[in-house]
Amino acid sequence: MTTGISKRIQRIQFSLLSPEEIRKMSQVKVITADTYNDDGYPIERGLMDLHMGVIEPGLKCATCGGKVDECPGHFGHIELAMPVVHVGFIKEIKTFLDASCRACGRIKLTDEQLVLYKDKVTANDLSSFDPEVIGLICKKITDEATQRLVCPHCGLQQKKVILDKPTTFREEGIKVTPKEIRERLEKIPDDDLIFWGMNKEVARPEWMVLTVLPVPPINVRPSITLDTGERSEDDLTHKLVDIIRISQRLRESRDNGSPQLIIEDLWDLLQFHVTTYFDNQTAGIPPARHRSGRALKTLVQRLKGKDGRFRSNLSGKRVNFSARTVISPEPFLSINEVGVPEKAARELTLPVSVTPYNIEHVREVIARGPEPRDEFGKYIAGVNYIIRPDGRRIKITSQNAEENSKKVEQGWVVERQLSEGDIALFNRQPSLHRMSMMAHTVRVLGGQTFRFNLAVCTPYNADFDGDEMNLHIIQKEEARAEARIIMKVSEQIMSPRFGGPIIGGIHDHITAMFLLTHNNPLFTESQALHILSYVDTSELPEPQIVGETRFFKGRDIFSSILPEGLNMRFRSKLCKAAKDGVCEYENDPRDTDVTIVNGVMETGTIDEEAIGPFSGQIIDKIFRKFGSSAAAAFVDRMTRLAVGVISVLGFTTGIRDYDIPENAVKRIEEISVEAVEKIDKLIGNYREGLLESLPGRSTEETLEILILGITGEVRDESGKIASSYLGLNIPSVIMARSGARAKMLNISEVAGMVGQQSVRGGRINRGYYRRTLPHFLMDDIGASARGFVKSSYKSGLNPLEYFFHSIGGREGLVDIAVRTSRSGYMQRRLINAFEDLKVDESRKVRDTIGSIIQFTYGEDGVDPTRSEKGETVDVDYLMLDLEKEGSK
Amino acid sequence: MKVLLWKDSRKNIETILGNGKLDYGVDFYSTTPDITEGYISPDGNSFVVRVKISKISKYSAQKGLISKKKSDLKGIISIDSAEEINPKPTSDFKLSTRTKVVKTHAIAEVIEIEAQHVKGLIESIPKEVNSIIKEAEKLGFTLPLSVAEKVASLTGSITPSQTKELLKKIKSDMETKAIDPYEAVGIIAAQSIGEPGTQMTMRTFHFAGVREMNVTLGLPRLIEIVDARRIPSTPTMTIHLRAGLEKDQSAVSTVIKELENTTLLDVAEIITDVGEQTLTVVPDSARMKERLVAFEDILSALDSVKQVNLKPDMEKHTVEIKPQQESYKKLYQVQEQLKILTIKGVPGIKRAIARAEKDSGEYVLYTQGSNLKEVLQIENIDPYRTYTNDIVEIANVLGIEAAREAVFLEAERTLEEQGLEVDKRHLMLVADMMSFTGSIRAVGRQGISGRKSSVLARAAFEITTKHLLRAGLMGEVDLLSGVAENIIVGQPITLGTGSVNLVYHGPKKE
Repeated sequence: MTTGISKRIQRIQFSLLSPEEIRKMSQVKVITADTYNDDGYPIERGLMDLHMGVIEPGLKCATCGGKVDECPGHFGHIELAMPVVHVGFIKEIKTFLDASCRACGRIKLTDEQLVLYKDKVTANDLSSFDPEVIGLICKKITDEATQRLVCPHCGLQQKKVILDKPTTFREEGIKVTPKEIRERLEKIPDDDLIFWGMNKEVARPEWMVLTVLPVPPINVRPSITLDTGERSEDDLTHKLVDIIRISQRLRESRDNGSPQLIIEDLWDLLQFHVTTYFDNQTAGIPPARHRSGRALKTLVQRLKGKDGRFRSNLSGKRVNFSARTVISPEPFLSINEVGVPEKAARELTLPVSVTPYNIEHVREVIARGPEPRDEFGKYIAGVNYIIRPDGRRIKITSQNAEENSKKVEQGWVVERQLSEGDIALFNRQPSLHRMSMMAHTVRVLGGQTFRFNLAVCTPYNADFDGDEMNLHIIQKEEARAEARIIMKVSEQIMSPRFGGPIIGGIHDHITAMFLLTHNNPLFTESQALHILSYVDTSELPEPQIVGETRFFKGRDIFSSILPEGLNMRFRSKLCKAAKDGVCEYENDPRDTDVTIVNGVMETGTIDEEAIGPFSGQIIDKIFRKFGSSAAAAFVDRMTRLAVGVISVLGFTTGIRDYDIPENAVKRIEEISVEAVEKIDKLIGNYREGLLESLPGRSTEETLEILILGITGEVRDESGKIASSYLGLNIPSVIMARSGARAKMLNISEVAGMVGQQSVRGGRINRGYYRRTLPHFLMDDIGASARGFVKSSYKSGLNPLEYFFHSIGGREGLVDIAVRTSRSGYMQRRLINAFEDLKVDESRKVRDTIGSIIQFTYGEDGVDPTRSEKGETVDVDYLMLDLEKEGSK
Repeated sequence: MKVLLWKDSRKNIETILGNGKLDYGVDFYSTTPDITEGYISPDGNSFVVRVKISKISKYSAQKGLISKKKSDLKGIISIDSAEEINPKPTSDFKLSTRTKVVKTHAIAEVIEIEAQHVKGLIESIPKEVNSIIKEAEKLGFTLPLSVAEKVASLTGSITPSQTKELLKKIKSDMETKAIDPYEAVGIIAAQSIGEPGTQMTMRTFHFAGVREMNVTLGLPRLIEIVDARRIPSTPTMTIHLRAGLEKDQSAVSTVIKELENTTLLDVAEIITDVGEQTLTVVPDSARMKERLVAFEDILSALDSVKQVNLKPDMEKHTVEIKPQQESYKKLYQVQEQLKILTIKGVPGIKRAIARAEKDSGEYVLYTQGSNLKEVLQIENIDPYRTYTNDIVEIANVLGIEAAREAVFLEAERTLEEQGLEVDKRHLMLVADMMSFTGSIRAVGRQGISGRKSSVLARAAFEITTKHLLRAGLMGEVDLLSGVAENIIVGQPITLGTGSVNLVYHGPKKE
C-alpha cells in the first residue's frame, strides 16, 4: 500500500511536436478510414486499431498487452497527403512569413539590429520572466522587420503576405500553398527564431504546418454501444475518418495526375477537416456537424470553458467516499458533530491497515459482517471489503465474514464502515469561504438526513427548506490529523473576514436567551429543573426564596453555562438600538449594561449582541480567554439551554401581535392623507413652474427627490406611531428588538403602513403609455399612481397597491439573480489572482516566483482571525490585566 | 526654459556621449534663440541623454564633422558636454504640439515643478508617540502606529516602568496573534472580499449628504475597483479649500466657477447670418458676470478656432466670425464648433456642488467628473485634501503609492457603506497585489491572472487554448509552484501544511 507522496513532478516543459516525434511515438500508421469490421472487431490499421489501446473488456492491447483498465492508450498517426496549416498557429505563421525574407529565410533586420535586439531578447529568461512581456518585445522586433521591404541579407525585394481568414495566405493575390509556406519556414535559421519568441530547443516554425497528424489513443475517444447494439463513435473519430478519407482521395488524385483545380479543391477540403478537427469554432468556417445537425465537439472544445477538461476535470475532480443528502436540524448535537444516516454510514468506509497492535480488534470487526448491530439494536461499524496486499478486494458478506476474519493478516487493509467519532468533512455549496467546509465528528443516527446544530447554519449559510449538503470521509491519517487540528468547527468559530465569531445562536436561541434574562424573571423550581436538565450542569444555582417557595432567577440560570473566571461588560443590542439610551428595564437602572463577574451574570439582557453570530461578544471573549473548545462548549450548552427555556415558556406569534388601537390607525391614516396632499401640492407647484430645482438637477428630478423624501418620512412616522403601541410584551417585537428575526421596519409595515414601492431607486414609472396602469389618467404623477402604498399588510392592500408591491418585489428577485452571478465571477477572479500568495518564514507575503507583495503581512503581521476585531492588540484589556497583576 | 529635443539612433547617442565636446550635424535647424540644453531620445518617448549646447548654426560643410545622417543635413549643434540621465518621459516637457512622441526634433519647455517640503511621516508623529515606538524597538519589535498612539494616550496615568511592562505584554500578545508562516493569505483575502459580495446591493445610491449627485456604490463599484477601470462609471472629486478659506462662501463660489466647465453657449448667443456668411457671438453680460467670464476670456477662447477671421467689436463687446472659406458646410461646422467651445473651467468637471460640513461648518466641494491634474493647479484649494475616486488617474498624477492607498480606501469605503465588516488586512493585500509591479493591474485575465508564471494556471482560468499553444511555441516551463497547477497534476499544493515536509524516523531498533 502506498503511503504518502514519494514522487513529485518538478517541472513540465511545453514544446511543439515534430513530425519525426509524432512518427516515433506512434504505434500504428492509420490508413483505413474505418473503425470496425462486420464482426465488430477493430480493423487493422484502422482508427480503432488495437495498437492504440482497448476499450472493450476481454480484448488485449496489441502494444502493451494490457487489459481495459491497465492500458494507458497509445498514439497512432496519419500521413497527410499534402501539408496543411495548424489553425492555432495561423497568426504566428503570418508573422514568420512577414518578418522573414522569402528567399533566404533570414529575419529582415540588419546585423547591427540583430546584435542589439539579441541582448534584449535573451535578457529575459522565460523561467522567471513574464511570457506576456517577452511576447511584446518580440512583437516590436518582428514588426520592425515586417516593415522592411528589402532583405538586408540577400537584397531581395519583398512581397506583402495577406492572411485571408481563416487559413489561406495570399501574396499579391496569388495563393501561397501550405507546401510553399512550409518550404519558406524551413529556411529560417535556428538562431533567428528567438526574435519571434520561439525557443529553438523545442520548436521549429515548419512544424506549425502539419505533414503528419497524431491520432489520439482510443480511450481518449471511446465509442459507445447503444442499447440497440448500434455503435456510436466519438466526435474525434468522426473527424479523423473524414481526414483520412480526404487525404487518401487527395493522394490518389495527385498521383494519377488529376487537374490542378480538383487537387486544390481536395486540398482545401483537407485543410477544412484538419482545421475543424482542432477547433470547430474557428471564425469564418462553418462548424462541422454531426448527422443529427449538432456541431461536433473537437479538441479545442474539449479543453475550453466551464465544462472543458481544465475547469471541469482537472481543476475540480469527483471523489469517492462522499455522500450527499438533505439536511435537517438537531439541537442536541454539538456544533462539532454531524448526524449521518445509517444508510450512508454503511456505505462510507475508511481504510484501516492491519498491524500487530490492532489485528485482534480488526478481526472482531470483520467477523461482525457487513450490517452489525449491538445487543440493543444500535448501529455499530462493520466491514465492507478487505484488501489483500496484492490489491485484490474481497467483499464481506454475512456468510463469509467469520471465515475472512481469520484470513486477515498484518499488511492487509480493511475498509471499515463509519463509526461514531470518525472525522469527516462537511460542506455546503456555494463554497464561498473556508467555513463552507469544516470537519465534524460523526454521529450515526436513524433517518435519512444529515443533521447538525443550528448554530452552524451561519457559516454554511444553510437553512432547512430542502438544502442538501456533502460529506467526505477522510482516507489518510495525516489528513485526519490536520482536519482535527485546523478544520474542526470549534477551530473555525472565529472568521478571518472580520476577526469575530461567525458561529452563534440564531432565531429561537436569541429569543430564548432574551426571555431568560430580560428583567431577570423568576422560575419555579420545576421550571428551573426542566431548563437545566437540557444542560450538563451538576448543581442548581442559588435559589431565591419568596415566601415559602423556592425560585430561580433567569440570569442565574444563564450563569450556569458561563465558564468561571469570565469578566465582561458590554451594552446589549436592546439598549444599543434604543435611542437616547432608554431601554425597557423595569427592575434596575444598572441593567442597561450586561455585566458578568467571574462567570456570574449580574445585570443586563442577553440578546444578539451577546450570543449572535458576527457580534457575539460572549463567544468572542470565551474563545480568546479560554480557547476554542471552551467556546464550542459554550455554544453547545447555550443552544441546549435555549431549547430548555423556550420549551418551558413557550413562544408564539400571530396576527394579533400587530393590533394597535383604533385611534392609532386613524392617526396613521391622517398622516398618509397629509402626505398625499403635500405631494399633490408639490406637483401643483411643479406644473405651474414654481418648483425651484435643486442645483444640478432638472425640476422633474427635483420633484421625484422631494416626493421620495415625503413618502419616506410618512413611513417612518407611521412606524413610530405603530411601534409606540407595540411594547416588549409582544412576541414579534421581542424577536425584532432582540435581533432574533426581522427588523422593526417589518413590524411597522404590518401594523402601520407599507409605504412607497420603488424600482431602481425611484418611484414606479413604467407600464403603459404615460401611466403605470390604465386605472390612472395619463400623466398622473400623484402618490397612488406611482406606487405609494397607504395600507398596512394587516389591513390588506387594495388591488392597485398589491400590483405595485409585486413590481417592487420582483425587482428584488431580479436583483438577487443578477447579483449572485456577478459576485460569483468577481470572486472567481479574485481567488484566481490571489490563490498563490503565502506568508514566508519572516512574515513577508510572496507570490510563486518569490516577488515580495508585502514586507510584513497586513503591516503588523497579525492574523485577522486572531486580531481584536481587526485591531492589532486590545491595549485597554492588557492594561487592565497589568493593573490586576500589579495589585496582586 | 526652452530646450531642444531630438530623436537619434543609439549608436549616435553613444558617439555623443563618448566625445564630450563636439560639433554635431543634424537634419534640422532651429532659429529659436537661447537654447542651451538639449535632450536626446532613442525612441522619441523617453530621453536618456542631456547635452549642453553652446550654439546652433546653419549647416555648412565642415571637415571631420560627426553627424546624425550622411546626407540631408541642415544644422550643426555645438555640444559642450553630454551626460546620461534617468529616462525622462515626453510628459516632462511642454511640447508645442500635442504629440506624445517626438518624431525627429522639437522645441519644448521644461516643466518646472516647484517642490514643497511636506512633513515626513516620522516628523508628523508626535514626540510622545515616537518615543513609545523607540521604546518598543529596544524591546525588539515594531509597534504599529495606532497602538503606539493608544499607549501614548495612557502615559499620563501610568508610570514609565508600567509603560515598559505594557509594551512587553503587547509584544507577547502580538507574537501569539502573528500570522502563521505559509498561511494562504491570498485565498483568505479573496474569500473575505468575495463572500460578502453576495450580500451587496446592485443599485446606484445617492451620495451620502449630497442628494444632487449619484455615485456608484455596492457590488458594481467593488467590481469596478478590482477591475481597475480606466474611467469609473461615476467619477467624483472631493475638494477642500485652503486653510483660512474653508468657511468663506465667496471663495467657494469662485472655486466652483473655476471648476465648472463653461462653454460659449453658457454665456453668449450665437447669431448666424447665412447671407453674409458670418457668425456673431453676442455675450450676455449678466450671465458672464455670474460665471466670472471676461470678454477677453471669450476672445482668447475664440482664438483657438481655426480657419476663421475674427472681428471683435470692443465697444459693443461682440465678435463677428467669418470662415476663411466661404461655404455653407464650413459655416455650419464653425457654428457647431462654437457651441461646444470651452471658455473656462476644468475639462471633465461637469458640475461642482458645495456642501457645508455639519459639525465644522467647513465647505466641501463635490464634483461630477474628475480631473485631478488640472484641479490641483487651482488656487485656493487645498491640494493635500483633494481627492478623486478615479484610481487610474491617481496613479498617473500622484504615483503608485497614492494609487495603492486609493484602491484600499475606495474598497474600504464601498464595503463600509454596505455595512459589511471586512478586515483591513485583506483590502491591503488586494491593493498591494494590484500595485506592487509599479502600475495598477486589474484582477482578471488582462491583469494579475493573465500574468501568472504557470501555463497550466493561466490555461485553467480563461482563454485556455491561446496559452497552451503559445507555451509550446516558446517552450515555456511550468515549475508547478502555484496552487492551480498542482491541483491539475494531482499533487498536494504548496501552501499551508503542504509547504513543509515532515519525516518521522521511528525510534532506533535496539
